[in-house]
Amino acid sequence: MRVIYFILVSMLAIVIPQAQALDIGDALKDAIQSTTAGETITGSKKASNSNAVKGEKKPAFNIQSPSKQEEIQLGREITGNLLGAAPLVNDVALQNYVNKVGRWVANQSERADLPWHFGVIESEDINAFAAPGGYVIITKGLYRKLDNEAQLAGVLAHEIAHVVKNHHLKIMQQSQLLDLGADLLGKQLAKDNQVIQKVIGSGAEVCARSLDKSAEFEADRMGVALTARAGYEPYGLPEVLQTIGQTGKDEGSVALLFKTHPHPDDRLVKLDDAIGNRLDKISGGKTLTERFYRLKN
Amino acid sequence: MKIYKLLLPLVVLFLPGLSLAAEMGSALKADVIRAEPYSDAKRTGNFARGDKLEILSKKGSWLKVKTAKDSGWVRLLSVKRGTSKGGNEAAGVLAVASGRAGTGQVVATTGVRGLNEEELKGAKYNAAEVKKLESYTQTSKQGGQFAKSGGLKAVKFAYLPESQKEGEK
Repeated sequence: MRVIYFILVSMLAIVIPQAQALDIGDALKDAIQSTTAGETITGSKKASNSNAVKGEKKPAFNIQSPSKQEEIQLGREITGNLLGAAPLVNDVALQNYVNKVGRWVANQSERADLPWHFGVIESEDINAFAAPGGYVIITKGLYRKLDNEAQLAGVLAHEIAHVVKNHHLKIMQQSQLLDLGADLLGKQLAKDNQVIQKVIGSGAEVCARSLDKSAEFEADRMGVALTARAGYEPYGLPEVLQTIGQTGKDEGSVALLFKTHPHPDDRLVKLDDAIGNRLDKISGGKTLTERFYRLKN
Repeated sequence: MKIYKLLLPLVVLFLPGLSLAAEMGSALKADVIRAEPYSDAKRTGNFARGDKLEILSKKGSWLKVKTAKDSGWVRLLSVKRGTSKGGNEAAGVLAVASGRAGTGQVVATTGVRGLNEEELKGAKYNAAEVKKLESYTQTSKQGGQFAKSGGLKAVKFAYLPESQKEGEK
């Protein structure tokens, strides 16, 4: 498939003047890749890259293939909006603690290069959020449910996995392809901020959007692995899922979480399938209950 | 089931101070009960999906449970803790019974703001909070030092495949 596609594009590129070749290339990619769902993003990435190179001026913010700095810029914007909905808990010791745990877990991932930021926000909702570039936010309501450092590590690891796998970036890119925003990008008319606003939409609504169920399951599996890699008792995340699973579906504090995620019971069953006896060899994982930072109120 | 819900709080009330007061659970899937918390330990029984269990204690990734006919150790992930399908007081009482209440886990849900879609949608960028958030940032090295001070050691461990069955294919 790839080879045929490459040959086609190369042939067209030779025959047709450069500028047009790219457009046709795009059309071809769409045609070819619409048959392979999920591949669209990769395709457009290449196209956008060529666009960027072709452009004479500084390329506009490139959502389809953002640089690390652009990723961070995007995540910062989303997180800033989220913090506009609920500010950080005013407890420096808590925030520092969560950043230390999170940073150590993130070090075990493929994106240890990012300047990871973690925060606990003033909300009794039970939820956690991740944004591109290494921004991870958990609510005070969720923090209350935690019993030890391994559980905190597990929750943060799930969110870290979303960032590592670009899950949120991907859904933003996908909707961008469908929306008129793609047109905006193609013409390179937009300034960075305009593009970011288009991509993010209104406020922090991105945070209320569901990912694919499979993305959540993947983040669970990666979360358990990252927790284990960090030397923690790897069942931190499943334990938290068990606790959350006890919360009634009709309780407001989990309304958004349950709406945007598969039910904790389903997540546990999927995790159990994936774990099997793989964790049996892992011993000496720590919970660090004594060091766990307890909320003052 | 209904009787359970009614009786449980009563039972708990009459057994104050018993740290091992029963936490209830139900089986997420059919599984084997073993004599020891190891996967090759002797089978002492089994249960079916949905069976009610009494959770006696926890050790690593294993729970000691008691069913109507058997008792022994079972993998933590095979059991859903708590009896409630919907939210009810029993869960709260159970939390008290299992000693979790002392850890600040009782959540007050009245009169606090939620994070619903409307609120998120209408949220405005807060530059001061972003600055604050970024001021807490730790470097990779600081993370490593923190781990060391807690005796944490990085372990090599591969990401889990989608399911064990697929992994074996």
